Amino acid sequence: MPNQSNNAYALTTLCPILPGVPDDLPPEISHMNGQTHSACIRYLLQDVFRVSVNSPMAKVPNTYLSRFYILQDVPYQGHPAILEHLKSEYLVFSSNFHGDLEPYLEGMWANVKPEIQALLPHCWGSENVRDSASFIAYIRKCQIETTFFFVGSTDEPLDVQLKSLYLKQEFSKFVFENQGKSKEEIQRAFAEFERRTQPVNTDAPTWVAGAYSLDTVVKGAGE
Amino acid sequence: MSNIAGKSYAMSVITPLPPNTAWMTRLLFWGVGHFFASKLKGLQTLSLIHYARWVVITPDQFPQLSPKQPKEDLRYSYMLFHSNFNGSWDQYVDSFSSSISVGLDTFWARSIKYPKSVPMLPFHRYITSNQIWNDHYYNAYPMAASNDIKSAKKVRDSLLEFTGAVAGVDAATFERKYNALLYNLQHDLSQMGPNPIVSLSAWAVEDRLNRERKTVELSHGAGG
Repeated sequence: MPNQSNNAYALTTLCPILPGVPDDLPPEISHMNGQTHSACIRYLLQDVFRVSVNSPMAKVPNTYLSRFYILQDVPYQGHPAILEHLKSEYLVFSSNFHGDLEPYLEGMWANVKPEIQALLPHCWGSENVRDSASFIAYIRKCQIETTFFFVGSTDEPLDVQLKSLYLKQEFSKFVFENQGKSKEEIQRAFAEFERRTQPVNTDAPTWVAGAYSLDTVVKGAGE
Repeated sequence: MSNIAGKSYAMSVITPLPPNTAWMTRLLFWGVGHFFASKLKGLQTLSLIHYARWVVITPDQFPQLSPKQPKEDLRYSYMLFHSNFNGSWDQYVDSFSSSISVGLDTFWARSIKYPKSVPMLPFHRYITSNQIWNDHYYNAYPMAASNDIKSAKKVRDSLLEFTGAVAGVDAATFERKYNALLYNLQHDLSQMGPNPIVSLSAWAVEDRLNRERKTVELSHGAGG
């Protein structure tokens, strides 16, 4: 199935955006009164939702990379191509993740429900989205099947990818620090390295999803 | 605008396909995926890509979720291209154009007014005029390139095997196995860090992160 490449999944959804101006807005974006649904979505995505480790998507299990944008219209290629327009704008959500669609969307609903509930009222047909099952049903209606999915990275669970990155970083440091030492010293140092980094344990210590700096990227190091 | 998250750039491009040709494009991708996977070697060689997808949308596939929502009345189908890659826009587009021009020209062959990937200037113009800027982009590992993730897998797999192999061995055996481990991993060991500011858009992202850090500090200050 083109949506999947082994254990990696490419989700592409187009959620049609309501035309015109919302009747009333929640207090946190009330200053957007008089702005279109589309402008409200853009404001939420660009200014309310925080980025990097604080992005809502950092809380969604197994998300590798994801994006949101608004498809306002289709591009015109110039004469003699046909000039045509969309009748609705679309909120495009595209995610690359590990695993199957349903568990992923369940994880999304469980972890970023407030953000979903902030965005979807600006889209057609979202009035029935009340729980995980109805959210999954809604996304399935908006999903467009991927024609071709290319995985240039790996398709492992995110916690394994993050643990591997942590180990790569730490073991690289270890090798540089122990270069030239005696075999006995390196053996002792490696025993300590193994105890400290716990290569089998993907929970900790490891890298934090979405972390942007070396100061904040490690979690669970303990000491 | 949020096309950059750490070392990754999110490219989103939409191009029209002539009426009644969507099936040919789908067939082409299906054939490449099933029978000509070796033709993707160029894509794999361009090891800067994390994940990329092509999505052909026919006019009747645009979701209509309410009887009140006007039905789309389009003649063209459209092909979405979403790519997540390391480096700058220019590096990526130029790499594509230089390394896999035949593959690109095959994938976009039916797109209206596609100029071909060589020479580069018309190709740059085509991508630019059909690119959509993202409103929110998230990357789980902003400090890692695609190659880092692939090499990290090799490092962890090798370490797991190594720790089992050196449990309880004498120092001489440990040294021999350790040297073999390093020999095997010599292309995979390196340290990662934040990406440098390479463009105005990267600067804008960094500026936003700094503002966010200040907000967090202020809220912690207020709380304490």
